[in-house]
Amino acid sequence: MPVLRFPVEMLLKATGMSSVEEIRDALFRLKCETDILDTGEIEVEVNPDRPDMYSLEGIARAVRGITRLERSWQQPETRPSGLKLIVDNVPSRPYVVAAVVWNVNISGEDDLRQLIQFQEKLHDTIGRRRRKAAIGFHDLDKLPSRIIKYTSMPVETTKFVPLGSAEPISAARVLEETEQGRIYGRISLRGGEHPFLVAGSEIIAMPPVINSEITRLGPRTRNLFIDVTGTDFNTVKKVLDIIVSNLSERGAIIGTVEVDAPYMKGETPLLEWKRVEISQDSISRILGYEVTPSEAARLLEYMRHRASEIRGHRLVVDVPPFRADVIGEIDLVEDIAMAVGYDSLGPLYERPVMRGSLLDSTLLSRAVRRLSIGLGFTEVASLTLTSPRLLEALGISGVRVENPVQLEYSVLRPSLAPGLIAVARENQHAEKPVKVFEIGSVVTEESGTIREEERLGMMLMDSEVSIEMLQAPLYAALRALGAQPLARAGCALPYMIEGRCASLYLGGEYLGYVGEVSPEVLERLGIEYPVALAEVRLGVLLAWKSKTRSREWGYP
Amino acid sequence: MSKPKVPVSKGEYELLLRLAKAGLAEASLEEASSATGLPKSTLESLLALLADKGLARVFEAVDRRIELTPRGRKALEEGLPEEKLVRLLLERDGRASVEEVKKALGGEAGVAIGIAVRSGLARVSQGFVELAVPPEEAMRRVSVLKELLEQAGQGALEEVPEDLIKRGLARVVVSKRKTFKLVAPPEQLLETVAVEASRLTHEMLRTGSWRMYALRRYNVEAEPPRVYPAMTHYLTDFIEMLRDIMKEMGFREVSGPMVELELYNFDLLFQPQDHPAREIHDTLRVGQGYSVEEKPEPSLLERVARVHSEGWGYKWRQDQALRLVLRSQTTAVSARVLAGRPRAPLRVFTVGRVFRSDVVDATHLPEFHQLDGLDGDYGYTFRELLGVLKEISARLGLEVKFKPAYFPFTEPSVEGYVRLPGGRWLELFGAGMMRPEVLEMAGVDYPVGAWGFGVERLAAVYYGFRDIRTLYTRRLDVLRRRVIDWR
Repeated sequence: MPVLRFPVEMLLKATGMSSVEEIRDALFRLKCETDILDTGEIEVEVNPDRPDMYSLEGIARAVRGITRLERSWQQPETRPSGLKLIVDNVPSRPYVVAAVVWNVNISGEDDLRQLIQFQEKLHDTIGRRRRKAAIGFHDLDKLPSRIIKYTSMPVETTKFVPLGSAEPISAARVLEETEQGRIYGRISLRGGEHPFLVAGSEIIAMPPVINSEITRLGPRTRNLFIDVTGTDFNTVKKVLDIIVSNLSERGAIIGTVEVDAPYMKGETPLLEWKRVEISQDSISRILGYEVTPSEAARLLEYMRHRASEIRGHRLVVDVPPFRADVIGEIDLVEDIAMAVGYDSLGPLYERPVMRGSLLDSTLLSRAVRRLSIGLGFTEVASLTLTSPRLLEALGISGVRVENPVQLEYSVLRPSLAPGLIAVARENQHAEKPVKVFEIGSVVTEESGTIREEERLGMMLMDSEVSIEMLQAPLYAALRALGAQPLARAGCALPYMIEGRCASLYLGGEYLGYVGEVSPEVLERLGIEYPVALAEVRLGVLLAWKSKTRSREWGYP
Repeated sequence: MSKPKVPVSKGEYELLLRLAKAGLAEASLEEASSATGLPKSTLESLLALLADKGLARVFEAVDRRIELTPRGRKALEEGLPEEKLVRLLLERDGRASVEEVKKALGGEAGVAIGIAVRSGLARVSQGFVELAVPPEEAMRRVSVLKELLEQAGQGALEEVPEDLIKRGLARVVVSKRKTFKLVAPPEQLLETVAVEASRLTHEMLRTGSWRMYALRRYNVEAEPPRVYPAMTHYLTDFIEMLRDIMKEMGFREVSGPMVELELYNFDLLFQPQDHPAREIHDTLRVGQGYSVEEKPEPSLLERVARVHSEGWGYKWRQDQALRLVLRSQTTAVSARVLAGRPRAPLRVFTVGRVFRSDVVDATHLPEFHQLDGLDGDYGYTFRELLGVLKEISARLGLEVKFKPAYFPFTEPSVEGYVRLPGGRWLELFGAGMMRPEVLEMAGVDYPVGAWGFGVERLAAVYYGFRDIRTLYTRRLDVLRRRVIDWR
């Protein structure tokens, strides 16, 4: 989630709030979590649905609305800038829009940092890490020409001075040698060609990778030329709308750029308002909270929309251009709820009584748990993700995670055995006997097909151990569950002692096994006490139970 | 409680039993030995033990008796040496030469002459031994001595002339003799004593012999040996508590797989396919070449394709929706429930494991449990969803406050913060009304509220663990020493 930082004073001034607590409370109601840092800064966590709040101006605008200081939003006037953007067919990154902003004050270090922060947050979220949309800021007064061309050119032969470089290098070298090139260089590279913005004879940007030194922003920059390129027209339009709307909050003046492109001919930014109709009925139906249409209109205005009543208890709402998140009526209902305040809506708990229920597997697990405790076994819990080295020591394998974070947690356990044997290993010095059980899901795989099942595992470790010491309590539990297993010699598990292990069957189904763990495995894992182990497939018990007649209530 | 009995050993008890049978309360050891059939040595030590406990007194008498030495017995049979000399002298008219005496008496001659001379019976002069007293007197004196000897031999004398002892014919024998006396008749004593036993046994009860036993007193104030109860695990206990809460609130439990189709984990929840959360470093996937048996309904896939294209404006890809991930949220189970187009009213919940690309530390696990719920009906509203969250919090003993939030699949969305006993607010619930797009894809025509929360984070706070990994500890010393909160 995007996290922004501002000096507290700066935010107080921009929002017109008198205390930090007031701001924090307002931001809480705007979905933001806040934290006050030791540096005297405030950290604001903005939800990814509100890119318009990725800058100080956007936050201030929303805060002044929800605290009822301001209503609705007055769109700033725009003037033609006289700039023209000619767009070629660029298959790898077809869309570009642009705008001019005059009179932007970025002379202070904080101001420039805020602008860069805004740009980065937009890149990371709505821009999908520059893939879907990327923004370029240029010093308008350094533009070599009033006509800018967006075109695709070969990287080998195209040369310019990228930001941070002293001399012109080929675009191919930019991709290889600059950090941005290595991170973003592959996004729009296709067939050795890459999109470029060209002003006159100079390359001013290589979107979405890097800008050119020519139009670098500096302390004296007052006027900006802004480009937004990307793969989705709606997104690039929205991103530009958000940027210019927010910058206009600081008194900047917006200039339009004439765009001549295969997908549009006209001026940008479009600053499109979205018209959505909403009925009083929808509000009460969704929220369970009654408001009159005029109240609803006022609440929506506090959320910076324009709203007016029309006939039939309906409102027509104009959503300002920076609100990229509003898709339909439901989003406005949420805005109304936020304007009221969630805590003021009043939680309602008057639902008709219904009979709840637990899964049979839950009920069986509970019964098994009670029996195991009664038999003196203590419950343990392990993770499903386990270590391939542990499985290897047992001579088994499991379904692999393709992109694990840590090797130790990179395989799904195919059995409860590894976890229980790990318990044995880590309790060499615990008082004996060690008697534990676990109930949990395992993930098995047969010729690529993955299955999950719930199992009971039991483990016994002592100075001396025999199969009966575990088989007896296991059978006791099974008999108490109404099942008498059938044992067959051998269990064909690499980690058990052949000849000291039995496979168990119930109604012809393989139920599990019980036996002693092989000394090779124990030695490999540094376990110096003998271990007996059993596993039972609880699904087989469940199926068995449903086949046999229910004895509930005990009546004949 | 009866007066504590005097503890005795099994042998002591047996002795009292036999004395009672013989009717002996006091006797000498010899008498007792023959009456009880116990050897004197055994009796002696048992009586000493009884005396130590104040149940008997043991007396010791000293016996002084004269008895003949072997030499004395020989003299009685053959005659005393001086007697032999006197008889020889009488045969020789009162006088015989030393040579004759030596010849007649042999080795005893010297002794006989010496005694006779010392006692004034004879005298020696010029190689002859002769009587010094008249013959009758000599015989009388010899027979007096012999009679004494005879009486001493019969044990009839308490004193004998010193001379007999000096001459080694008799000796004084001193012997000790023991007797005892019980402090009460044995049958009475039997009622005040008991044999000490450390355990009451089946054998004692079966035979009735418990009566003879007194169970040894324990040091009941001492710390007993430490044992550990078999215990359920705290995490499962917590999860079962949550299940009970949900059931009591009328929710039906459901479940779904951990290895899940992206379709249910993301697409059906209106998460666009290029959403950052779906990227490789945020969601764990299983390697290629794996599959699950289930195939989603084609009509469901068609609806998903349409709603995504219209809502997000991109080309939805079915192959991506059918990839397998380790589910990142149990809302995938909720999505499955909705795709089954359940009839209203709907109230279901699920608890299960979810997986995240997190490095394990004190606050992160690569997998944890989530609880997810759906609540829906015709006319169901957001306020009712808030009501459910408030009710769950209340049943957990927690106060809740609501913050607007964003989730791709809900609108309005809300986060529920619960106030922990320490006063700190913990972000717990993520919730909201399922977006119309979600319901449209699933084919559900009534509003549905959805919510979920992570179990481990709450459980860690509940049990006071600073480190969330403690919930999955394998150390039995931790698990066994757990103190349960039973309220």
